[in-house]
Amino acid sequence: MKPIALKLIIIGLFFLTFSNVTAQGYKLPEYSSFKLPNGLTVYLMEQHDVPVISVSAVLPAGAIYDNEKAGLAFLTAKALKHGTKNFSKLKLDEEIDFIGASISTDASKEFASLSSKFAAKDKDKVLTIIKEIMLDPFFDAEEFEKEKSRLLVGLEQQKESPRAVIGNYFDKLLYGNHVYGNTIQGDISSIGKITVEDIKSFYKTNYKPNQTAISIVGDFSTKEMKTKLTALFSNWKKSKNKIENPALKNIAYPSGNKVLLINKEDAKETTFYIGSAGISRNNPDFVALEVINTLFGGRFTSMLNDELRVNTGLTYGAGSKFNTLKNGGSFVISTFTASKTTEPAIDKSLEVLNKLHTNGIDEKSLTSAKNYVKGQFPPRYETTNQLANLLTQMFWYNFDATFIENFEKNVDSLNIEKANQIIAQYPNISQKTIFNLYWWEKLPTSKILLKNMVL
Amino acid sequence: MKKIMFLLLLLTFSGQAQMKSDDVKTFTLKNGMKFLVVEDFSIPNANMYLFYKVGSRNEYQGITGLSHFFEHMMFNGAEKYGPKLFDQTMEFNGGANNAYTTKDVTVYTNWFPASAMEVIFDLEGDRISSLSIDPKIVESERGVVLSERSTGLENSPWRQLSEAVEATAFIEHPYHWSVIGYEDDMKNWKQQDLERYFKMYYAPNNCVVVVSGAIKMAEVKRLAEKYLEPIPAQPEPPKITISEPPQTGERRITVQKEVATPYLMLAYHTPETKNEDYYALNILSAVLSRGQSSRLYSELVNKKQLATVVFTDFGESFNPSLFSIYAVANKEVNPVDLENAIYVEIEKIKNEGISEVELQKIKNQKLMEFYNQVETINGKSNNIGTYEVFFGDYKKMFQAPANYNKITVADVQNVAKKYFTKSNRTVGVLKTNTED
Repeated sequence: MKPIALKLIIIGLFFLTFSNVTAQGYKLPEYSSFKLPNGLTVYLMEQHDVPVISVSAVLPAGAIYDNEKAGLAFLTAKALKHGTKNFSKLKLDEEIDFIGASISTDASKEFASLSSKFAAKDKDKVLTIIKEIMLDPFFDAEEFEKEKSRLLVGLEQQKESPRAVIGNYFDKLLYGNHVYGNTIQGDISSIGKITVEDIKSFYKTNYKPNQTAISIVGDFSTKEMKTKLTALFSNWKKSKNKIENPALKNIAYPSGNKVLLINKEDAKETTFYIGSAGISRNNPDFVALEVINTLFGGRFTSMLNDELRVNTGLTYGAGSKFNTLKNGGSFVISTFTASKTTEPAIDKSLEVLNKLHTNGIDEKSLTSAKNYVKGQFPPRYETTNQLANLLTQMFWYNFDATFIENFEKNVDSLNIEKANQIIAQYPNISQKTIFNLYWWEKLPTSKILLKNMVL
Repeated sequence: MKKIMFLLLLLTFSGQAQMKSDDVKTFTLKNGMKFLVVEDFSIPNANMYLFYKVGSRNEYQGITGLSHFFEHMMFNGAEKYGPKLFDQTMEFNGGANNAYTTKDVTVYTNWFPASAMEVIFDLEGDRISSLSIDPKIVESERGVVLSERSTGLENSPWRQLSEAVEATAFIEHPYHWSVIGYEDDMKNWKQQDLERYFKMYYAPNNCVVVVSGAIKMAEVKRLAEKYLEPIPAQPEPPKITISEPPQTGERRITVQKEVATPYLMLAYHTPETKNEDYYALNILSAVLSRGQSSRLYSELVNKKQLATVVFTDFGESFNPSLFSIYAVANKEVNPVDLENAIYVEIEKIKNEGISEVELQKIKNQKLMEFYNQVETINGKSNNIGTYEVFFGDYKKMFQAPANYNKITVADVQNVAKKYFTKSNRTVGVLKTNTED
């Protein structure tokens, strides 16, 4: 590749924002859902524009369930594709590739997921493979060792890119011992200790139908698909005990400032996050905060990017986002700048944040942000993949069509008083509990830090 | 690029979905600006992609990086919409935008609610007809692109390595330098360079525009005539007269950077997109690296465990360019062993060819790729524009299935033999200790 997409942080907004029925005339296509006797939740949505089908599944098997073995959930998810009862890994790869299909398995902080896309005509073949991957993985020991050694090298390589690892360090600092501080891919010492027996046991406990959802969106008939899925997934045995979500414990967000500096000898620039506790996905102000973040740090003309990029040329991009999880979340300002302009870039970031809190926002900016959020909304739910993800997100985060139906109304109802109230109401987005995370060539004089940290 | 450093224009697909060649309507304004329009009411949004035929190949030493810098300057104010107002107006109307520059083209992309289309035309018309190049803004924007350059090098060893390999493979042709440019040139672009660039390349007759979404062709035409037709055409930009002389011996280059394990890049000179070998080379690229069952992945990553990552790139270009193979060495692997293992796979294809099953696999994958592209209005605009600009006709997009289907196993073997020769390749290694 030529230098591939240096994806910028700025456009992040929220984690994923969810659909509504009428935003700018956008209609969420009809869908149906049902539950198998073993508890598996299924969502089906027909889409006939292009002859493809997308599948998305979520399972209670993300990094929060790692316990002491950081990276266990991630390795387990990857190992699902190491072969199944009826397909060796080689055969599996060949079958999937031959028909141009994709099946990927992954673990995020909270859940494990499977996503797949394929030509509608191949549905019988691919759904059978998906069922095998989820229900009958083989966990070949030799393949596991290869995966593990690739991951170990990958973890070393990640350190070559500040952007690739800064978020992990930040989460550890913010969430402390809470499981939301868990690093998805683990670290070199934890991964080194994980065995194939560990992943077999993790799979046995966490890959169960009763807290899992699978959504299928695309070119098929609902009736036929329902029959097919019932036949494929009904034999999946439910777990006897409920899998407790360890993230439901209280998060002890740090009460004062914390600073973490990481020295990278050959760095030419500083990458930094400044952030604090954010909100959980079910926070009633979710939509309002999306609008507010849009104008603060979620788009090109946002306050942050305007000041750090457009007015001062300190960086190629500056932005902010809320990462929302089921029981908590973070808010971060992120940017990067040449080593020698580290100080002004930090100063400016804090200055802009202060400005938001001191001056609030004006009518015109609010209208603009509202228009922007609404205008950019429909393309988020255009493809079968996007729609399949939406449905499983609804399942995991426990929201439904009413949230979706009300999206545009909620955006519209945010007036200037309410917006400024919300800004004031979230003291955790103020300087009082900011953490700084810097990455630069030489550790700076303490002067710079003190200047920003006197609070 | 303005906000995203994009370089990989990987546009390869075929097959046919519901979308047909007839669904693309075209017209050309009196000033030579060509429009391609797709009406698609699946979501209430639309987009506009403007492809200017100018990229870093149009530069020379002293002004390298200027095409990309100019792309940035296009957002910094014109007569009606002054500094900041392009973005502010677009976002106020619910629209978002971006842009990217490659060695060949500069592309501007606008995504907006369909109801805002007239504003978009007004904004584009304003900046194309009367961009203002304020020296003060030039200075602050210079800082932005320097940061863009630095963050690219900071976060990916591939940037440094591919720049070195391209500079070694191309000695005379302007593909020699990178899109972002030389740091010293970046610090020295002059006001008159920018003004001249604007006049020469930002002419309506040097631009192809694609509009897709919940809009009507008649309305697009009306707005184009109102906002863009009055802009005068300019003389044809100068032709690029340099062609790269044939390479007559292997070239090697080593680059130093702190890395966990060495990075490797092999590049072979290959022809431009319009060449008859394009489709066979494209299939060859997929045979080598697409999916876990591909030759390089299954042999080098899975079986022999010499590499942790392997991929190939064969993209679109106006002039003869490179077919590149990339790999990251596994722990304790000597990059020479990895390199030799890649040659073993290449020799296998040269000697024995690929199988019918492999060929069919790639054709199936191309169909899925096509479906993915036409699933969104953005995919439609991007692909239609790319075919029009690089293949010379957007209709080639719809002929692509047939063109891929014509390719035989012998064709793939022949292009491997023709281009994958020792004297045609450049090898780059990036590693920590270059004294070894």
